[in-house]
Amino acid sequence: MLSPEFGHFCLVLALVVSGAQIILPMVGLLRDDARLIRFAEPLQHLASMAIFISFASLVYAFIVSDFSVQLVASHSHSLKPMIYKITGSWGNHEGSLLLWIVILGLFGMLFVVRETASRLKTLTLMVMGGITLAFLAFSLFTSNPFTRLSPAPPDGRGLNPVLQDIGLALHPPMLYLGYVGLSVAFALAIAGLITGEVSKNWARITRFWVVIAWSALTAGIALGSWWAYYELGWGGWWFWDPVENASLMPWLAATALLHSVIVVEKRQQMVSWTLLMAITAFSLSLVGTFIVRSGLLTSVHSFASDPARGIFILFILLGAVGLPLFLYAFRAGSLTKGSDYALLSRETGLIINNYILVVSTFIVLIGTFYPLALELFTGAKITVGAPYFDATFNPVMGIGILFMAIGPLLVWRRGMVGSARPALLLSAAVTGIAAIILMASSGISVAGIAGIALTLWLALSIGGDMLFRLRPWQAGMGARLRLPATQWGMWLAHFGMVIFLIGALASALFEQENVVRVNKGTEIALGNETVIFDGVEERIGPNYVTETALLRLFDRDGKLIDGLYPEKRFYPAERQTTTEAAIRTRLSGDHYAVLGDGSAESGYTLRLYHKPLVSWIWFGAVMMAMGGLVALYRRPQRAQKASLQAEQGLREAE
Amino acid sequence: MARSFTHFLPLLLFACFAVIASIALVMTLSGERKPSELPSALIGKPVPPTELPSLYNPQAFVNIEAATSQPYLVNFFASWCAPCRAEAPALAILAKKIDIIGIAYKDKPQDSQRFLTDYGNPYTAIGSDNEGSAGLNWGVYGVPETYLISADGLIIKRHAGPIDGDILREELLPLIRSLQKQG
Repeated sequence: MLSPEFGHFCLVLALVVSGAQIILPMVGLLRDDARLIRFAEPLQHLASMAIFISFASLVYAFIVSDFSVQLVASHSHSLKPMIYKITGSWGNHEGSLLLWIVILGLFGMLFVVRETASRLKTLTLMVMGGITLAFLAFSLFTSNPFTRLSPAPPDGRGLNPVLQDIGLALHPPMLYLGYVGLSVAFALAIAGLITGEVSKNWARITRFWVVIAWSALTAGIALGSWWAYYELGWGGWWFWDPVENASLMPWLAATALLHSVIVVEKRQQMVSWTLLMAITAFSLSLVGTFIVRSGLLTSVHSFASDPARGIFILFILLGAVGLPLFLYAFRAGSLTKGSDYALLSRETGLIINNYILVVSTFIVLIGTFYPLALELFTGAKITVGAPYFDATFNPVMGIGILFMAIGPLLVWRRGMVGSARPALLLSAAVTGIAAIILMASSGISVAGIAGIALTLWLALSIGGDMLFRLRPWQAGMGARLRLPATQWGMWLAHFGMVIFLIGALASALFEQENVVRVNKGTEIALGNETVIFDGVEERIGPNYVTETALLRLFDRDGKLIDGLYPEKRFYPAERQTTTEAAIRTRLSGDHYAVLGDGSAESGYTLRLYHKPLVSWIWFGAVMMAMGGLVALYRRPQRAQKASLQAEQGLREAE
Repeated sequence: MARSFTHFLPLLLFACFAVIASIALVMTLSGERKPSELPSALIGKPVPPTELPSLYNPQAFVNIEAATSQPYLVNFFASWCAPCRAEAPALAILAKKIDIIGIAYKDKPQDSQRFLTDYGNPYTAIGSDNEGSAGLNWGVYGVPETYLISADGLIIKRHAGPIDGDILREELLPLIRSLQKQG
């Protein structure tokens, strides 16, 4: 039943159904025929089901190692562990594109189930049908995953060993949940532009989907960076590579959208701007796909690049971005209202937030595409690396963090939370003193001290905000704990940012490194610790052979802490070598060892690092993602009333 | 007038992007542009005249000569570049067979010096290209990048990206051996 032909058929079926999902409701809307309009929902379910079955047939072909399917033959191998046979089905261009469409189908289905019927819902489903149609066509006409191979080879050519990894297996689905989730907000924005009604209700619906997508995108980027950290063996966690930038840009735009949509929900302000952000965030996801798939930019993530497919994506991009922006240019003006808030207000805070996020998105966009533009017009090949981003992105983000500490303390329309002034003054004083002490007593660079001070400032202001709102020293805190979930979610996500910053700063400023050539018995100093090299052992894995270095790690008193076993693996089927770093992760920091080239006679090269607090980077990201989900939690009606009262009480108390 | 220019701005920006991307794509498809293959305009040509302040002694200069008696390597590196650390062991092995001139590309001298203390110094001479002007003359695409120069000052090979074990054994070492035999 799950034959590749049936999978192929389902994909074609989904294409036809998606077409109908646009046309039938459109005719219905034009003729005012309710029966035709109602077709949008069952058609979405049908298309989603067909897509799921199609994907299931592809995964099945990988599980049973059906090498008569070209994709399986070139990306799988009978000796591969089952888990990587399954994940291998999306570890390639065709399969990952199908996964993209599967998630699109999933979101379409969930959208139908969750939202109540309205004109807005119908229009949104039509737009989503359009996106599905475009990507199904892309898959079927340029990257069909079900192409057969005759005669079938006896065994597959295997999957790139670097891609045989659990982190990488989970990274694309998570990232795609984010990319594709933004398509719902995008579709809602277009529907809003068409109906001309961007109401409180529109914002409430949109916020839900934006937060889901944003949380998934945050987790997806974190997974990708974690993978680069432990798999690439360079000890870094972010390389400003075009592919990484491609995921960072939609994240920055989605973060802006996440904040501005709240303004629409609460105050009916920033309407056209929010629509623009919704279009931008998804467009940047598409641009990200375009970068990776078209091979226009070279990158360490040499995934799949075929310029012929680039043409197709370029057309999708022109339609999916050009048309909405065209619509926006003509319609947005009628949605703009005059502003009715004071300079010092939550609205202003969120506008600053959005401007800073948009500027940083532009910085990344320019850093990614400027080399391409320059090459076209002058022929010069240049590279834009860490120095550019350190000099531009980091300061802008620093300003962002400066304001991130103040924004949540402002109230809608005008003014500040009553308790904000003492909290802010105290944070400023503590931060200032800490910065002066560091400046005088430590050898940390000015940029490093600025980073530490900003992190402290943010942490103190969040802590102060929580403290003064909850007032644990006064009776009746139980009632005050029932704040809206959005407040708790915001605190959690913002505090996640603090944890992330602590990890990023500590691992950059206090890192210990040592690169040495060693022989059996060599002692290597690494900060306070010592590492002893006990030679290299050959071992055999399921589909590889490995050279494993035996290292013992001692603390400053000469007590054995742990063993570290970095490997160099050779995969005979693929004729490729990979390095597997040995990482001992603790909350206080990671010990990271990489085995380089060498032999028993001439000695081996070892790279050793101690990276304090580096895992906090990913804990922080997880907290941010969790914060988003917490903010979505809606209590049963009665409790909701209580939380409104709690908020009311707070306001009166101020 | 509700329709204001600012609402057209996103469309205009996108149009610019689309035009650039289209041109790039058409050129890539027609084969005029190969993103993964770096231009080899300098292969077989004499080295571009390069004179840089020495990393450890800014008063002195490092000169990359058009003709020397021995083949040598020119390696662009930077402390901010992670792959440069990865190729440190390979450079250490190469340093035993051939002279390597290092060029610290867009890097503060004290950072480059720290990098060399940490990862070893395989170079016979190091020029500091803080402004990146030498990189421009050589058409450096990114760091690390390595050029093999023959005894008569011609560029024989260019390798972009870190030198790993395979490239070392299968490409660079055989080429160096054959060049040294000629010399």
